Amino acid sequence: MRYVDEYRDPLLARALAAEIRGLVTSGESVRIMEICGGHTHAIYRHGLEELLPNEVELVHGPGCPVCVIPMGRVDDAIAIAETDGVTLATFGDMMRVPGGRGSLLEAAARGADVRMVYSPLDALELARRDPERHVCFLAIGFETTAPATAVTLLRARAEALPNFSVFCNHVLIEPPLRAILETPGLQVDAFVGPGHVSSVIGTEAYRFIPEEYGRPLVVSAFEPVDLLQSIAMLLRQRVDGRCEVENQYTRVVRPEGNWQALAAIEETMEVREDFEWRGLGVLERSGLRVRDALAAFDAECLFELPGARIEDPKACRCGEVLTGQIKPWECGVFGTACTPERPLGTCMVSSEGACAAFFSYGRLRRPREETPIGA
Amino acid sequence: MTLAREGCLTCGDVAVAARVVEVDGRDALVTVGGEPELDALVTVGGEPERVALDLVPDATPGDLLLCHAGIALERIEEER
Repeated sequence: MRYVDEYRDPLLARALAAEIRGLVTSGESVRIMEICGGHTHAIYRHGLEELLPNEVELVHGPGCPVCVIPMGRVDDAIAIAETDGVTLATFGDMMRVPGGRGSLLEAAARGADVRMVYSPLDALELARRDPERHVCFLAIGFETTAPATAVTLLRARAEALPNFSVFCNHVLIEPPLRAILETPGLQVDAFVGPGHVSSVIGTEAYRFIPEEYGRPLVVSAFEPVDLLQSIAMLLRQRVDGRCEVENQYTRVVRPEGNWQALAAIEETMEVREDFEWRGLGVLERSGLRVRDALAAFDAECLFELPGARIEDPKACRCGEVLTGQIKPWECGVFGTACTPERPLGTCMVSSEGACAAFFSYGRLRRPREETPIGA
Repeated sequence: MTLAREGCLTCGDVAVAARVVEVDGRDALVTVGGEPELDALVTVGGEPERVALDLVPDATPGDLLLCHAGIALERIEEER
């Protein structure tokens, strides 16, 4: 198929793998973090680590929006869902995230009206079709998804829908990156930047990474050849002594991003003073809330929310996985107490979480990390 | 229900390339033109999907759009 086959061409992939081998010196160690959960998923799914020399290590970053939602916000969503006359709509993976009082799916089993949608516009349609019920959309996601929520809010306002609201949990990509870059003893040498977040915010938004933190970043698309090419571009920068933001995903991403999407976000949402992230703690100016002008559509104004902060289960090490400090299999409950069927931590919930991706595709072969029998 | 096997279509940084078949007001009817692993999720039975064109208002039939969570985010350049 056009626009797919050429990005999965095995000969091209092998040529790139050879190029990558030529760009590293034997015995050195280069740690590259892929920020985006979609990249993590693609890396495991296509076995890309197998193609890389031992000198190059991929570290998985925080870019799965489901994985960073704290348990307290899940409980808030459950409180909305359990209000009489309310339908809560959200994306499929979000329904399985465990909060302090179980997941939304379990709330649905107790009788709450929880619906899965593919788009916030589908939630809006639910509200139009059933004027007797209030429909609340549980919004999550980075700058990729915020425009869809923004467009939905603008349409709701234009129609003056009285029975629709958004419980806004949108987050921004820059604050967690800064948090990771400021982690003491950080061992990440370079970054593969998210492709679709960048289609909205542009490549210029990452300039602070080379300029303030001295690490290169390449914005990448999602097919195997794309990712290998991005890794080669990062290594080429090292060899050339350059440190900058480059764009591998030129077929979609522009330096300035999509101004229409950014304007829609700006019109409907504003940056919160702070927002809690699972594994990263409270980060300043890292989340978005619905603007006061649209308070009639803001679930945080319409509903009484518990707003509790809940500690993650002690055994769960999602925080360390999200910041690249440990690999999924180094967590004590990985694949035992915590599986995709019964996740303890969020990294196991979404297929883009590092733990779930590794569980699905990588756990049976790990030649580079061989543990001696009996160790 | 879960999209676990083939990647979470809507909530991650995943988007789908789709071809505009027809423009209908602020919306377009599209068919998916890339990422075959997601085909089954978005074109069951080959039925076109509806996406909002608010952010790419000048899209015309034949354009390839990057779609995410029910809206078109960006036009995909076909000449590299």
